[in-house]
Amino acid sequence: MRTYTVQRVPSVSGRVRTGATLLSCLASVLAAGLLLALLGLHPAALGLQVLHQSLANRYGLEDLALLAAPLAMCGLSVSLMLRVGLWNIGADGQFFVGAAGAAWIGLYGPSWSTLPMLALMGAASMTAGAAWIAVPALARLILGTSEIITTLLLNFVARLGIDWLVTGPWRDRASSVTAQSPRLPVAIPKLPRDWHLGGMHWGLAVVLALACVLALAFRFTRWGYELRICGANRNAASYAGMAVNRRLLEAMLLAGAVAGLGGMLELAGTVHRLQSGLSNGYGYVGIIVAVLAASSPLGVVVTGVLMALVLNAGTVLQTQGVPSSAAVALVGLILLSAAVGERLANYRLQRIPPAPRPGQAA
Amino acid sequence: MARTELLIRPLVQLSGITKSFYGVRANQSVDFSLAGGEIHALLGENGAGKSTLMNVLTGLYQPDSGCIAIEGHARRIDSPAAAIEAGIGMVHQHFKLVSAFTVAENIHLGWNETPFRAPAALLEARTAALSRRFGLAVRPSARVGEISAGEQQRVEILRVLARGARILILDEPTAVLTPPEVAILFAALRAFRAQGNAVILISHKLGEVLEIADRVTVMRAGRSIETCAAQGASRASLARLIMGDTSLPPMQESGRAVADDAAVRIELRGVTVRDHRGIALLDNVDLQVRAGEVLGVAGVAGNGQRALSEILTGNLRPDSGTVLLDGQAVAHPTPRRFARHGIGHIPEDRLRTALAADLSLAENAVLREYDRSPVARGPLFVPGRARALAVRIIDDAQLDRRDPSLPARNLSGGNQQRLVAQREARIADRVLVAAYPTRGLDIGAVASLHAAMHRLCARGIGVVLISEEIEELLDHADRIAVLFAGRIAGILPASDAESERLGLLMSGQALVPDAPDRDPGRAA
Ligand SMILES: Nc1ncnc2c1ncn2[C@@H]1O[C@H](COP(=O)(O)OP(=O)(O)OP(=O)(O)O)[C@@H](O)[C@H]1O
Ligand SMILES: [Mg+2]
Repeated sequence: MRTYTVQRVPSVSGRVRTGATLLSCLASVLAAGLLLALLGLHPAALGLQVLHQSLANRYGLEDLALLAAPLAMCGLSVSLMLRVGLWNIGADGQFFVGAAGAAWIGLYGPSWSTLPMLALMGAASMTAGAAWIAVPALARLILGTSEIITTLLLNFVARLGIDWLVTGPWRDRASSVTAQSPRLPVAIPKLPRDWHLGGMHWGLAVVLALACVLALAFRFTRWGYELRICGANRNAASYAGMAVNRRLLEAMLLAGAVAGLGGMLELAGTVHRLQSGLSNGYGYVGIIVAVLAASSPLGVVVTGVLMALVLNAGTVLQTQGVPSSAAVALVGLILLSAAVGERLANYRLQRIPPAPRPGQAA
Repeated sequence: MARTELLIRPLVQLSGITKSFYGVRANQSVDFSLAGGEIHALLGENGAGKSTLMNVLTGLYQPDSGCIAIEGHARRIDSPAAAIEAGIGMVHQHFKLVSAFTVAENIHLGWNETPFRAPAALLEARTAALSRRFGLAVRPSARVGEISAGEQQRVEILRVLARGARILILDEPTAVLTPPEVAILFAALRAFRAQGNAVILISHKLGEVLEIADRVTVMRAGRSIETCAAQGASRASLARLIMGDTSLPPMQESGRAVADDAAVRIELRGVTVRDHRGIALLDNVDLQVRAGEVLGVAGVAGNGQRALSEILTGNLRPDSGTVLLDGQAVAHPTPRRFARHGIGHIPEDRLRTALAADLSLAENAVLREYDRSPVARGPLFVPGRARALAVRIIDDAQLDRRDPSLPARNLSGGNQQRLVAQREARIADRVLVAAYPTRGLDIGAVASLHAAMHRLCARGIGVVLISEEIEELLDHADRIAVLFAGRIAGILPASDAESERLGLLMSGQALVPDAPDRDPGRAA
């Protein structure tokens, strides 16, 4: 007779971990399909429709890219801090504040030509995002306050601040919409038409370039190595003579700047006006993007696209009478099963050797 | 002897245990039997598979093949809870207590006999009763964070015994104990044995093994190669069994008088360090480390050794006094400054301070040289060169696992220590500060570590050897400084030091009269 037992193994290779993540994504999509089937819909047909609408024509691809870009920026921001073992729950707030910084330059700044103007707006957004996380960062380093709570709370402050700006001082008085700023005089140019990405703007290239730069920096610089050690064991990092607090501060400020830049790209590339609907919870989905990618910058690009696909599916489902919150539920389901999958990757099913005949042991 | 063994049914019988990790055979058809009423020592080189075998017996790992019989009945042990049910308890080398809890709370944590309503007084009374019953002195209301390593270990053992263990497994229990604490532990083990229970003891200290064990099993490269009675065995015969044909490197001369005009590498002048409560860890310490000498630091652990090693390596700033490197006062000591100056540091707690256990061997091996050529190129980090350097370090450290991408956690305890020692010796151009560097090393590795230390000295590098073992210091140090309650109680040339005098100094009895009678923080 054969019996099996479940056994924990102390460490798993990266490949096994990636496989576990992929399997759990698949499992949650299947579970979602099952739910849809129970609702009397045809999950396979719906799935095909989602894929068709998102991938098979230029408008679908454009939508996908437009959604994936901010998700990837927030994902990069979160993964920067994950490198040193810290959680950035506040990418959403930094995204908004970055957009506000860029809008301020766009509306009230100099009137230069497009490129220098965009560069200045980018710099302003990064400064604003970094400044927004500076308070939680310093609180963490000086007082030991948990950055999870402080960065999260500042999201609400940021959102309320934007609400106030766009209904008050920066409100567009020429339009009948009460909660948005005037249209910015500059916009990020569109990609060439024959690239088949529809009306996607050059911000996409910025996202990809940033992901590549971060990936190279993590792997091929001393700074990246130091971040890795700081994330794995801070005692060992300071024993080895690294400036641990400085590295943590740099990672946090940079994370804020990246999320802020994401806000600027969204503002100047897609929305063109500051408004409180600028981020659709991108900062929060960014956490999932980073976790699924195991905080690898290139992985973030992939998982960003995946999450965009899931959110797009929500739009398609809406046309079938499924509430739009279904997509959010699916995102949650994916995160949940990825977390479970990561734990389970540590376990193996193992055959127990047959019991000895009585007397053999004596 | 053989006949009685046949008649007595063994308490535990492991037969044909095989366990591999990703292609490495950690255990290869191992047979092992434990009789009631014996203390059975399990010996073997680093990485021989001792911890793995015990983890199989306590249900942490499942064997790939082979079986376990308890009192003649085949038994499946698929979790530590099942092991405790079968009467098997293990005390791991790294204690697993909650340091913010009291002793009584730790004993009752996760125990199904803990009463549902558990006021502190009740738990403490129950703990006191257990402590009397098993003859292990503990103070039930003390917080675990504040008691000595020896007492923590007694709490661990009591935890296991309270749950009804009849088989006690101790993985290198004496590595962190002072000699009096070892004596207390051994007395308790003998009492436990007298009741017909059994002990499995993993140790690299052959003297202790001969003192307490009834039988000895030796493992080599994953196999059990011999089981014999401890009576009639000698250190030399055990060492031969453990090491096979490899021979120990010859021992170096020590106790050489180092010339008085030898350059002073590190000097401490009136250094005082206080902890956050204002208690002095080091009190007005003057010390010189000279080029080419082994400066031994003797003392019972907890008398300021940690602070001393951290001061000597820039990990701690003195509250008053000065630290001089090659005669130059250092205004703001940092570990980087000291490492750059050529000061290596083997800290006392390798997993907490010296290694990132989840990262690869390669990343751990270059921890000290990642910022210099060839691994670094300006601000760049060249992974290929880091890997090449790591392979060198892994080879020189003679690790049993050679794959640089393996996580450091997967190394056996002794192999982790070898990696740290090799890495630090490489950067030590001026001084190597080694705190208990032989902890967890097998006899061969201990000998090569000492040989490496003397090679450093021959190159004019100063070595600070912090140790609790008087014998090790007498054998290898040129001068011996004794630490007591944060002060230097005396510095003797090793040639005039004898054990008795050192022992008196270490216990504070030969201290100068004006010494304050402070408690050094160790339990009596
Ligand atoms: N979790 C693991 N994953 C991979 N390899 C492992 C793991 N645990 C142990 N090993 C390998 O199995 C072998 C035996 O290790 P084990 O810890 O049993 O040695 P040991 O006899 O206890 O040595 P030491 O005296 O150094 O503690 C070693 O080669 C080790 O690298
Ligand atoms: Mg071991």
